[in-house]
Amino acid sequence: MTGEGERVSGTTTMIQATMIRRAGRAALWAGLCAATLLTSGCAGWVRDNLTQSPTPWRRVQPTALPVTLPENRDFPIVAARLRDTGTVYKSYIVALGNPTVLPGENRLSVDVQTLPDSLFGALVQPPRVFPVPLYTMETLTETTKREFPAMRIKVADAARRNHYGDYDYVTAQDAENTCVLAWQLITDHKRMLPERIEAVRLEYRVCGVGSNVRSLLAPFDGLTLTLPETVLEALEPGGL
Amino acid sequence: MTRSALLLLGAAALALPIALPPAAWAQANGGGRALAPGVKVEVAPAPGSGSAPAAGKVDETALRYYARIGDVERLEAEIARLRALDPGWEPPKDLFAPQATTPGVDESPFWSLVSAGKVAEARAAVAEQRRKTPSWQPSAKLLQELDVAEGAGRIRQASDTKRWQEVIDAAAAQPEAVACNRLDNAWRLAEAYAELKQADRAFDTYKTIVTSCPKAKERRDTIFKASRYLSPERLRELTALGATSNPATGEDYSTVRTAEAELETGRLLERLGNARPGTLSESDRMRVEGIVREKQDADGAVALGWYFQKQKKYAEAQSWFAQANGWTPSDKAAEGLVLAYNGLGEKARAREAAAPWKGRSGRVDQALKAVDPPRGAGGTGGGRAVPQGPSPLDQALARHDFAGCLSIIRSTIASSGPTSALMQQRGWCLLELKRPSEAEAAFVEAQALAAREPAAKEPAGGSRKPPSAGVPAAATRAQENAYGQAIARLTTGDVAGLTRDLPRANLTPAQKAEIRAALIATEANRALEDKRYNDALRLLDARRELEPEPRNLGILRGWALYNLMRYDEAYRQFKTIDDRLSTEESREGLSTAWKTIYHDW
Repeated sequence: MTGEGERVSGTTTMIQATMIRRAGRAALWAGLCAATLLTSGCAGWVRDNLTQSPTPWRRVQPTALPVTLPENRDFPIVAARLRDTGTVYKSYIVALGNPTVLPGENRLSVDVQTLPDSLFGALVQPPRVFPVPLYTMETLTETTKREFPAMRIKVADAARRNHYGDYDYVTAQDAENTCVLAWQLITDHKRMLPERIEAVRLEYRVCGVGSNVRSLLAPFDGLTLTLPETVLEALEPGGL
Repeated sequence: MTRSALLLLGAAALALPIALPPAAWAQANGGGRALAPGVKVEVAPAPGSGSAPAAGKVDETALRYYARIGDVERLEAEIARLRALDPGWEPPKDLFAPQATTPGVDESPFWSLVSAGKVAEARAAVAEQRRKTPSWQPSAKLLQELDVAEGAGRIRQASDTKRWQEVIDAAAAQPEAVACNRLDNAWRLAEAYAELKQADRAFDTYKTIVTSCPKAKERRDTIFKASRYLSPERLRELTALGATSNPATGEDYSTVRTAEAELETGRLLERLGNARPGTLSESDRMRVEGIVREKQDADGAVALGWYFQKQKKYAEAQSWFAQANGWTPSDKAAEGLVLAYNGLGEKARAREAAAPWKGRSGRVDQALKAVDPPRGAGGTGGGRAVPQGPSPLDQALARHDFAGCLSIIRSTIASSGPTSALMQQRGWCLLELKRPSEAEAAFVEAQALAAREPAAKEPAGGSRKPPSAGVPAAATRAQENAYGQAIARLTTGDVAGLTRDLPRANLTPAQKAEIRAALIATEANRALEDKRYNDALRLLDARRELEPEPRNLGILRGWALYNLMRYDEAYRQFKTIDDRLSTEESREGLSTAWKTIYHDW
């Protein structure tokens, strides 16, 4: 017994000693790790948190776009790009074919603003990637001058309507070509937008040969948003 | 007097059609304290106030404070102000001697806060002191300084958010906030008038600055600021006034006079760039030519070259491009030279002019296509061996008519089908028309067509022999297509993708280095936007190992240094650029760095 007891006692002592050694080693490792982290800069900080900055544009396949455009021989999808701004915004540019010889890309831009999914996200948000209102007369003039230099510009008197409600547009014309710039902000949560999506901004800029404004706007009139959550179409005026 | 106590008086301007003379403004800067717009009361020194001046004496509190902290510039301004108030007053002889602590409250901490721009904190500290010592009254000068600082803050805020009327109201409420020693606010006031289309008042404000603020540099900067809003005639008047009115000893006003000439040159060169044939008068053109020659301005010479090239005056164009290339060799000048020689029908000399840049510059390679058009791109129908002179496509390229280029290529393709060369040229023209996505598609298509075309179709320039040492290799057609794709991707902002694909891309070493330099420049720009200033410098340094730093990146470097609070280096950087060619950007950088270094806001 005694011997056993001594053995037990000796084993216990050995176990205790081993535990003490392990604890010592753990403390040593912890100390080393902390020192390494501190000296390697891991414990440093940067003044501005870049998680709120826009990422560089990256290309995506047209099938990955959150929008479907009706088939149009004049304005096929040439390329598509995506970038994120923080966790809140996703911006897409769809470059479309341009049958004219005018400068500037035909394109559809889509900005999707989602609601943050955490308290921290709600507190730290990136600056809005599009202004509201989308245009003032001054910014519109500036934009149309840049987009359609040396063309006659006319702001449409009346809004048009696509699947997601009313939108406004300008037309620009020269002797041979016509261009349109249309813009729309979708914020209707009552019917159209799912809870997670705060707003969707659309901008469509297209130039074509001839003077048929309606045919230029046809892709914008017929586009369908295909976000992961269903975006419902607007009710027709007077509809149920 | 180094600084007059000028007040660019919004209130006066509102009440009177013309601004008050400087002397009157100086009077307005007396011991009065503005409580509300247009209302002023004299603050009598309170009994028991340790630092309030005795009756009949000027308040030297601020003067002694500036002397104690060694702020010589403000000290001089304060001496001038006090002299304006009381011409018989002389600065105390013991100004720099340590002062015995006067009974009452020491105002130094409040002055320190005001001096550091912490006006709200200063107000709070004064209130706290008054709570602790109810019998104490802050000195009139301190209260005035607080009012002025608050007024200045209101002006800046309103101006930053473009609330122009509020700028004017704030200046009217606190006229002292728009004095020479707060010149930035005075400029903001003038800008507010200009933005509200009150051109006369804007002019009056600028006029008051250039006739009253004594420093030549301030007058010169004012003229540059005013150039955004005033007509050339008024600017001329302003310059004349700035160069002659109320001169201060030791100031060299010739720099004020040259400001107008510099602005005029910039304006004329800009007009030159946009001018259609005949829109620039003979006298203006000759004036530009004279200035460009005098300053040996290579960019100006290139602009003149294009002006003549557009008018098909190839001999004059060639002369200016050659001049530019002589002063500062660049691919821009070489491109023009190639096209001008081509216009003159001197193809051999065109090729000679292109030689130093061939395979190293996209723009020169493209210009060479006008000299040796790719096969099938002639637009005159295939198969004819008889020389036809410059083809319509050559002519369109020589005119920089890229819309015409697209039309010609389209009709050529419609009549005789696409070729690799045609599609490649279409890609370059689309890039010039800022349609990079379509350009990339065109280069991809050109690549696919090249793979199907017989090897004999490789252009003469597309030598496949290995490059000899020191001589850049001419690009093959495949490499040119890959290069075009890379440029297009760069233009669409596909930086990450391009960086990933670059090592495997089929490009000449020179093309690869050029794309890499462009990628680094894009990243440096992004770093600056993200406020990663050290990163921006790191990238710019890396880029400089590949290529000399162009002007725009030099400016970017200046701002990165400035934002890292390396003000002296930033100043030197802006100064180097500005000395070479003064532009709005370089002047802005220079002025901002200077003001920061000398606390001259």
